[in-house]
Amino acid sequence: MTGLSFDPLLGWPLVAAIAGLAVLVTIWSLWRGLRGWALRGLAGLAVAAALAGPALESGIRNKLSDIVILLDDRSASQSLPGRTEQTDAALAGLERQLATLPDTEIRRVTVSDAEDGTLIGAALTRALAAEPQTRVAGVIAVTDGQSHDPAMLPKTAPAPVHVLLTGAPGDWDRRLVVEESPAYGLIDQPVTIRVRIEDQGAVPAAIAASPAKLRVLIDGEQSRSLDLPPGIPLDLPVVPQHAGQNVVSIGFDAPVADTPELTDRNNSAAIQIQGVRDRLRVLLISGEPHAGERTWRNLLKSDTNVDLIHFTILRPPDKMDAVPVDEMSLIAFPTQELFLERIRDFDLIIFDRYKVRGILMPQYYDNIRRYVEEGGAVLVSAGPEMSSVESLNLSPLGAILPGRPTGRIYDQPFLPRLTEDGQRHPVTAGLPGAPREGSDSHWGRWLRMSQVIPDSRAQVVMTGAEDQPLLIMNRVGKGRVAMLNSDQVWLWGRGFEGGGPQLELLRRIAHWSMKEPELEEEALLADVSGELSVTITRRTMAEIAKPVRITRPDGQTVTVELAPIGPGRFTARWTAPGPGLYRMTDGDITRVMALGPAAPREFEETVASGEKLGSLPEVTQGAVLRLSDGIPSLRTVREGRPAHGQGVSGDWIAITPRGASSTTGITHRPLLPGWAWLAIISGLALAGWLAEGRGWRLRRT
Amino acid sequence: MIWFLLAPFLLIASLAQAQDPDPRLIRAADEVALAYVVTGDSEVDAASEAGLRGLSQVLTDRTTVEPGEPIGINLDQDDLSLLTFLYWPVTEDQPQPSPLAYVRMNHFLRSGGMILFDTRDGDIAGLGGPEGAGALRRLAAPLDIPALAPIPGDHVLTRSFYLLQDFPGRYYGRDVWAEAPPAGAEASEGVPFRILNDGVSPVIIGGNSWAEAWAIGENGLPLFTVGSGLDGERQREMAYRFGVNLIMYVLTGNYKSDQVHVPALLERLRSEEVMQ
Repeated sequence: MTGLSFDPLLGWPLVAAIAGLAVLVTIWSLWRGLRGWALRGLAGLAVAAALAGPALESGIRNKLSDIVILLDDRSASQSLPGRTEQTDAALAGLERQLATLPDTEIRRVTVSDAEDGTLIGAALTRALAAEPQTRVAGVIAVTDGQSHDPAMLPKTAPAPVHVLLTGAPGDWDRRLVVEESPAYGLIDQPVTIRVRIEDQGAVPAAIAASPAKLRVLIDGEQSRSLDLPPGIPLDLPVVPQHAGQNVVSIGFDAPVADTPELTDRNNSAAIQIQGVRDRLRVLLISGEPHAGERTWRNLLKSDTNVDLIHFTILRPPDKMDAVPVDEMSLIAFPTQELFLERIRDFDLIIFDRYKVRGILMPQYYDNIRRYVEEGGAVLVSAGPEMSSVESLNLSPLGAILPGRPTGRIYDQPFLPRLTEDGQRHPVTAGLPGAPREGSDSHWGRWLRMSQVIPDSRAQVVMTGAEDQPLLIMNRVGKGRVAMLNSDQVWLWGRGFEGGGPQLELLRRIAHWSMKEPELEEEALLADVSGELSVTITRRTMAEIAKPVRITRPDGQTVTVELAPIGPGRFTARWTAPGPGLYRMTDGDITRVMALGPAAPREFEETVASGEKLGSLPEVTQGAVLRLSDGIPSLRTVREGRPAHGQGVSGDWIAITPRGASSTTGITHRPLLPGWAWLAIISGLALAGWLAEGRGWRLRRT
Repeated sequence: MIWFLLAPFLLIASLAQAQDPDPRLIRAADEVALAYVVTGDSEVDAASEAGLRGLSQVLTDRTTVEPGEPIGINLDQDDLSLLTFLYWPVTEDQPQPSPLAYVRMNHFLRSGGMILFDTRDGDIAGLGGPEGAGALRRLAAPLDIPALAPIPGDHVLTRSFYLLQDFPGRYYGRDVWAEAPPAGAEASEGVPFRILNDGVSPVIIGGNSWAEAWAIGENGLPLFTVGSGLDGERQREMAYRFGVNLIMYVLTGNYKSDQVHVPALLERLRSEEVMQ
């Protein structure tokens, strides 16, 4: 390549001024009738031309090769039977054909599973950005077309984009679509999950007409089964039974057909619904104002999740004074409303130093007993009245109390201690500052307690004076009862002899009564950290923990041994082989855990289709072809021409050679050397002068 | 001020001793016995004891609270963590308690105890005569006392058992001070107080010489005259009512304030039932 370029020595305005001056001088000369006017003008223009610095430029260019981007999809959906072989064969065939084209390079891009599925759009955009636009001659993607990032697809490409789809024309799949599922739900209040059955691909007619048999399992327990025809959304009411994770798994068996569906991994879904308790309602009944009463109030009022209804018997029925009622701030205790009509609205009833004084009628106690047996909770914080004739034990409520008072009161300082059960029980395990063997740490002492003979089924978790039971916990029917045989837990809050974890202990007792999952004695916990790594923890009151049997999604089972890490705690780390719904059991407790998505995104849609790749092939004149029709042959066409078509031997696709080149060097040579310019200018000026001078005229005349 | 730095260590050292606590204090914890500060002035101490005995008697007669015999507290020696309520009559020549005693008192106030300071000068205060304010200031200065304000008309102390407008003792009409509501708190909420310790003010300060109004002798008769005639007896009754309200406030905190909300809570339960 050669060209003329200018490199003015003094800048264009000056050059233009000189040229203009030259023209003016010429015009003036002409008007005056000077004979050398043309030569004068030419000399001036030559000065301007010399100052403009004309130069010859020449460069050297090299032809560049064309680039073909060859993208292969190795995501999980491409591992369905037959697809891997199809992909390998197509790649080999295309590479062989590309190798025969002159000056053509192949750029391989492999898309594998990402967290969000198959990201073909991002991979294509990145691959195109990495190559010079002028050299890309074609893009060929071997995929099932199930891309999960349509927004990332480039709008257009500098060369044809061809999509070669794997799979077979007879592919079909039936899948479960969860359209709507709540992440949280109030316990015992139904939440709605909306599901739909979707058929894709060439579904056999017999299957398309038949409904899917849905099975719904909550926490691994069969709850219901129903028939759902494809295409119809179903609102499925589910009731979270407990606080914490409720795993709802919905699924159907693969329909039986001559051609089986592509995969059954999208036939089920696991939905985790966090069970949330509505505000807890606690009824606190203090038999008399006493030093520890505010302890309960501090605890329950600081908990924003608790609605506290508190009644204190400020004046017993047998005491009277002469003060008129309108000068008193006392209200009647709405016993009938609380203990007959509203009792089931409470999550916990606390009797705090309550004496049986004839305020509550016997049928109310009976009602409280029934309330507990049906799933309620009662917590008794007993003072010395428990050992008196006014003891709650002598009321009908006594039948469910976890211990019988003997009538003896220990009026002596004692140190509360954890029993062996107490070290295992989540209510007392790990209480800060607990007295331990060989440790200086200790709690403050309490000064009074009642002697109680515990029920044989109850658990004694703390002991006091002479190793007598101090804190007893028991289950009655579906409910729970806890009993603290001393009213002096407030001494811990006051810091007497250093105090103790008063608020924490009371909080745990109260929340255990209300079935807080974190305080369950027998629990099998799966803590999923990272992708598939699970920490299995078994909390138990037993001495040993049985091994945990884990059932994998494919039905195989693994047995994991648990190692002790503390009193009543056993743990093991386990890594799952893949995402899915796992069921673990140790014989007593069964838990379902969902690792990763039960139906991974890759398997949501499996029937190969070019739709997800949008209009990109169309815009770029490329083709969407099925590999099941054979590997297309490869041609070259000029840019802008249709890049695919039907040939004699089948479909063909084309790349467009770009003919790109690069300039490797440039030389820059002045048109004339300086002295030549000087000679031209002076020659013209001299000639003009001579023409106008005498000599010229003499010779003429 | 060095002794203030040393004091916590001394306290911890004293707590570590596992000796049995004073049986009088055990009784205080068991029976919610009312306690008073022994000032060294035998007349005042006798009046305090008689006053608290009188108040205990009234409580036992009229309410579910049945306190035991009052207990005299020597601030320099006795552990306060077993007490709930302490009556402190302020006298001019009372010796300053030791630094360790102040550490114990501050802990007592922080963990939910209450001190009633009585300057016993309601009759002469403001007339230019000798008054207890100076002595009170001297005695209470090392205590962690929050900002104080005269008790407002909607304070829970005015309705913790009886409905009261003012808080007379042997004298009448002086302002009684309690912890000030935090700035900006809505007085109409009913509980304009901090949530710590159920919003119970750690100190109540006044000068109405309540113990003398409450005081009864061995024979059950009042020891001091209050006012004159029937009006005086009415004032004594009001003093007792203040005592009852005060002890109820100490023991039940803001319970009576909350009760304002109970009908609303029950109403909510009812309406939710209808909705379901």
